[in-house]
Amino acid sequence: MDIRFFHGLRSLFAAVFVLVFAMQAQAATLIDIYGPGQNQINLSMASPLTGPEAEAKELGADLHKEIDKNLNFLPFMKLVPSGAILGGTVLSGWQSEGIDFRRFQIAGADLVVTAYWPAGDSENSTVELRVFETFSGKFVFGNAYSGVTKQEVANVADRFCDDLMYALTGGRGFFSSTVAFVKGDGKKRDVWLVRPTGRDLRQVTNLPGSALSPSWSPDGRYIVFSHRDERTYALGVWDRLANKVTRIRFPGNTVIGPCFLPDNRVAVSLSTGRYPDIFLLDRQFKRERALEQSSAINVSPSFDSTGTKMAFTSSRLGGPQVFLKDLNTGAVTRVSKEGSYNSEPCISPDGTLIAYTKGTPQGFRIFVYDMVTGFDQQVSYGPGSDEQPAFAPDSYFVAFTSTRSGKQQIYLTTRHGGPAKHMPTGPGNAAFPRWGK
Amino acid sequence: MKSLKTLAMVTVLGLGLAMGAGCAKKNVEEVAAPAAPAVSTKAISKKLTKNVVYFDFNKYDIKAEYRDMLQGMADTLKQYPSIVVLIAGNCDERGTAEYNQALGERRARAVYDYMIRLGVPAEQLDVISFGEDRPAAQGTGEEVWAKNRRDNFTIMAY
Repeated sequence: MDIRFFHGLRSLFAAVFVLVFAMQAQAATLIDIYGPGQNQINLSMASPLTGPEAEAKELGADLHKEIDKNLNFLPFMKLVPSGAILGGTVLSGWQSEGIDFRRFQIAGADLVVTAYWPAGDSENSTVELRVFETFSGKFVFGNAYSGVTKQEVANVADRFCDDLMYALTGGRGFFSSTVAFVKGDGKKRDVWLVRPTGRDLRQVTNLPGSALSPSWSPDGRYIVFSHRDERTYALGVWDRLANKVTRIRFPGNTVIGPCFLPDNRVAVSLSTGRYPDIFLLDRQFKRERALEQSSAINVSPSFDSTGTKMAFTSSRLGGPQVFLKDLNTGAVTRVSKEGSYNSEPCISPDGTLIAYTKGTPQGFRIFVYDMVTGFDQQVSYGPGSDEQPAFAPDSYFVAFTSTRSGKQQIYLTTRHGGPAKHMPTGPGNAAFPRWGK
Repeated sequence: MKSLKTLAMVTVLGLGLAMGAGCAKKNVEEVAAPAAPAVSTKAISKKLTKNVVYFDFNKYDIKAEYRDMLQGMADTLKQYPSIVVLIAGNCDERGTAEYNQALGERRARAVYDYMIRLGVPAEQLDVISFGEDRPAAQGTGEEVWAKNRRDNFTIMAY
């Protein structure tokens, strides 16, 4: 056979394989995580294979462990332990015809994941991951990941879990995002990054003084933050490409709560007059115009994905309350209707919800306001103080800061509430979580 | 001879008195000079940092009880123009971080504005907000919180 023809055939096969997998992924949405009645799904992981009943014990075992760890972060998914599968999880095949679905059905699993390493699971291998419904035997989703090395295993797990979440729910971004946050105490705080699952923890600034309120640029290149030393405030700008921090001073000194707009410009509270007001900066971080100015405190701007709606905190009615401004018409409406202390709004990327911090007799708690229905829902329950909510790119997860353990740490919940899961950030206080690429 | 001796003594005494009178006149002129500063500005500055202005919860208006104290501070600053004071606004722990930064800024600026109205040059004043990050007292309860809702003063130059 002509070599070029063979290669062409192989490429065509590979393209069809990927296309079929991708189409399957888009076709199925099994779990409605966005609707009011969130359901739960039970998932079992079959042992990774290099052939029929041949367990993959090198990279296969590592990937299995990482996927397992990741899926524990999904509150709508319950993992069925391998010990609960009668007959074990080492299968004679990885496609539907080689899987004994009954053993998974009996254990209550709705889905089973198979992993096949066609050329073995040593360095630089390819793995095929598939998901099936156990009751119908229907193929739900699958993908092949090539060039898997020991260092890349965790990233492959993230990519698979992101693809899986998209296939099951229609939402993605949790496993492919990086959270910026600040770590330290009152006098010395720096900006750090971490994956929401706790991987890739790293420090990106090291300045004397305190970094506060980081915010990612939509393209993932910059993080802006408020920086305060013993005498001055500044807008801190971390450039990921140059790995460099610049401090930009403004007249009036104070710089509070910067936030990127979808068009890569920044809004921030500056104190140029009697009160801190919200200003728009241009792409060189120079003051352009006021977005919200009144005889009151105006802070904490947050924008929807169109950049036309801005939620913010204002003291115009006495205590702090959350407001929404339509930047096209200039109309301002009050969002928080109850309570004397409501602040720190964060609009979900899909523009339907606003998470905010409400003062309650038990301390601060996170609430979610539905902009369509006008209803509020409490999504965090302490103990301690829950503050600084931040919506993930999927508009499903919400990260927030809590003192429930005695020190400030970051936790994850969802737009529906439910048990909060700790986001590992290493030793020391952690606060101001903000999602980015 | 005796009269010569007496004449010499009178002359010396007269010169001495004249010199003494001259010195006394010079001293009077020096004391009358307006600038101060035989007194150490460092010591004056130290006194200023002992002042604290306390606020009610979520408020930034200066209570009447602090007017005299601030008037005294303003007089001192006007008398010693080399002194530069940083007014730091602080909050108690009951509040969210960004709003507390703004509230601390308002508290610092309330005193700044008052001092300006009392005639202190702006070059002698700086403001900063530490929000809830620099509590003066640790713990919870109104007694502790009341101590933390404050403006305190740091000398940046003297």
